[in-house]
Amino acid sequence: MRVLALCLALLWPAAAAAGPSVDAALDGHVLPRVARLAEAGAALSAAAEARCAPEGEALRAAYHAAYDAWAGVSHLRFGPMEEADRGYALAFWPDTRGATARSLARLLGEDPALLADPAAFATVSVAARGLLALERLLYDAPGAAPAACGVIRAVSRDIAGTAAGLADAWALHAPLMRAPGPENALYASEMEVLRTLFTAVATGLEFNADVRLGRPMGSFERPRPLRAEAHRSGRSLRIVRLSLAAIEELALALAVTAPAPDRAAIAAALDGARGAAAALDDPVFAGVATPQGRFRVEALQQRIRDARAEVTARLGPALGVSAGFNALDGD
Amino acid sequence: MPDRRHVLLGGLALAAAPATGWAEAGNPAYLAAARVGPEAHALFGIDAAGRDVFRVPLPGRGHAAAAHPLRPEAVALARRPGTYALVLDCRSGRVAARLTAPRGRHFQGHGAFSRDGSRLYTSENAYDLGTGRIGIWDAAGGYRRLGEVPSGGIGPHELLRLPGSDVLAVANGGILTHPDSGRAKLNLASMRPSLAYLSGDGDLLEQVELPPGLARNSIRHLAARGDGLIGFAMQWQGALGEPVPLLGLHRRGEAPRLLGLEPARQLRLRGYAGSVAFSGDGTGIAITAPRGGRAHVFAAESGSLAAEILRGDICGIAAGPAGFLATDGLGGVSRLSGADAAPLARHGDRNWDNHLVAL
Repeated sequence: MRVLALCLALLWPAAAAAGPSVDAALDGHVLPRVARLAEAGAALSAAAEARCAPEGEALRAAYHAAYDAWAGVSHLRFGPMEEADRGYALAFWPDTRGATARSLARLLGEDPALLADPAAFATVSVAARGLLALERLLYDAPGAAPAACGVIRAVSRDIAGTAAGLADAWALHAPLMRAPGPENALYASEMEVLRTLFTAVATGLEFNADVRLGRPMGSFERPRPLRAEAHRSGRSLRIVRLSLAAIEELALALAVTAPAPDRAAIAAALDGARGAAAALDDPVFAGVATPQGRFRVEALQQRIRDARAEVTARLGPALGVSAGFNALDGD
Repeated sequence: MPDRRHVLLGGLALAAAPATGWAEAGNPAYLAAARVGPEAHALFGIDAAGRDVFRVPLPGRGHAAAAHPLRPEAVALARRPGTYALVLDCRSGRVAARLTAPRGRHFQGHGAFSRDGSRLYTSENAYDLGTGRIGIWDAAGGYRRLGEVPSGGIGPHELLRLPGSDVLAVANGGILTHPDSGRAKLNLASMRPSLAYLSGDGDLLEQVELPPGLARNSIRHLAARGDGLIGFAMQWQGALGEPVPLLGLHRRGEAPRLLGLEPARQLRLRGYAGSVAFSGDGTGIAITAPRGGRAHVFAAESGSLAAEILRGDICGIAAGPAGFLATDGLGGVSRLSGADAAPLARHGDRNWDNHLVAL
């Protein structure tokens, strides 16, 4: 009898069904957004096939739509996004050593056969793949060299493939997040699932403040406006706005079980950050070069950091997780 | 297992006579500090399978421990800016001696014994002077303070003795802190981390610094291989998006070798390595990245990445029979071999703190 019970236990591993927060996060946030990115990737590739001229309106609109969709998932840096380097293959940024420019230059001289073969192309340096590579091809192109067309199509096709791969991987990953347990290789308990999603909120806010704003801010003596993400296509601030909105969506989904006052405070803090981003009139953070402009970007950075502090202070305990013991406060 | 432990503990009365070493403490293979529940802290001895061998309560959050080379005695050092260090008799759990940092000094969480076990060295922050010190204690005579020597930099953190010698390697993290400002970092713009080698009497024998572009890479933790090769792990204090190497190798008299990775992979460690260890056979070296939730294992000779192993809040790491043993903030003990982490034990009652010390 005990043997039978054991066998059953192995067949049906302790299905500690995940709680409403996990379902809300997956169904109301993660899965629809990765699906949207896959659709946007496919539309981008179709647009590049139809007409690959860098200044073409339809292609540029498809690029922006794909980047918008990326901004909505860029904080989900775990599991499917890390497997196969999908995150960096979709958006290689920050590019601290100018690797995208170098790798693209090399690619433009490549054998057309490599460009035509998606499997082969998926093995080229991540720096020459993804939205930042495409941005350079569309907005920084040295005229419309004939070779560029092949590269634009190859990069767009690759973005579509990676985005589709991400959605496929999520279809396998989501069930693991819904059924944590001792037999689950990735999530031994619901706490680990919640911690993963909670960390995505906290580090996503941090990334917007420290990296998306922090890199162009540079230092007071030496602002670095050209380090802003996707400044060539004029969408640096738009990325931050969309990312904040997406992170708010995730935080509120997770907070579905939190006490009403905590939920309200989390929403207020994130609304505040989002409102500050909406009010800023500096699309590529060029203003950081002047003291007043820098002050405005810094104010937004502070609002995001405040929101992060408020959200971690309230959401962590509500979910019963904190950032890791060692990760939080190292030595 | 409990039986054996009881027998051993029961034998303590006799053992008060000549010290016969760590066997009397149940032969733990490792020491690690942990938070137990929301408030309590303890130092644990665990065996190679991650099971508890002993447990000794600590008055506050611990950090690392130093094991006496001969006697079953461990020194548990307070996490900085703590001023306590307890010498624990690991057979009985009794506090054999209590060290208090002198006025104007606090411990940094790490210590090391001399080869013959007669001296204990502790890394200390001389905060009013704004410099680092190595405190020297008489381990043969009741842990009286014998004196102190300069550590060779600011903010010394881990120190260890090179195997088979009395030379100390000291990681001078370069970061100035003062207890009045808590753990705030006061000199990031001017920091100069270094790896210093000191004689047993404190003479500075050699000092290694990083290239200027890496001046903000705080050298914090060390591992030593039998042949004198040192691994040093770093914590980046610059911008989060800079993919800087977090592990270096050094052999005395040579230039340091930094083990960098392609940016995408490097950035996953989030600029922070928590611990470093050589593998049991010495061919591999690993750093843990609790913020990145993973360990990176490198081949020590080629310097190439051998494995990336995911584990939430992983931090403590030490040589294991095959590869490494690692602890995490969720109470887990895992064996790392190849590209895989095999869970050995999970202690749901505790959060393992930063370090795992092999005996």
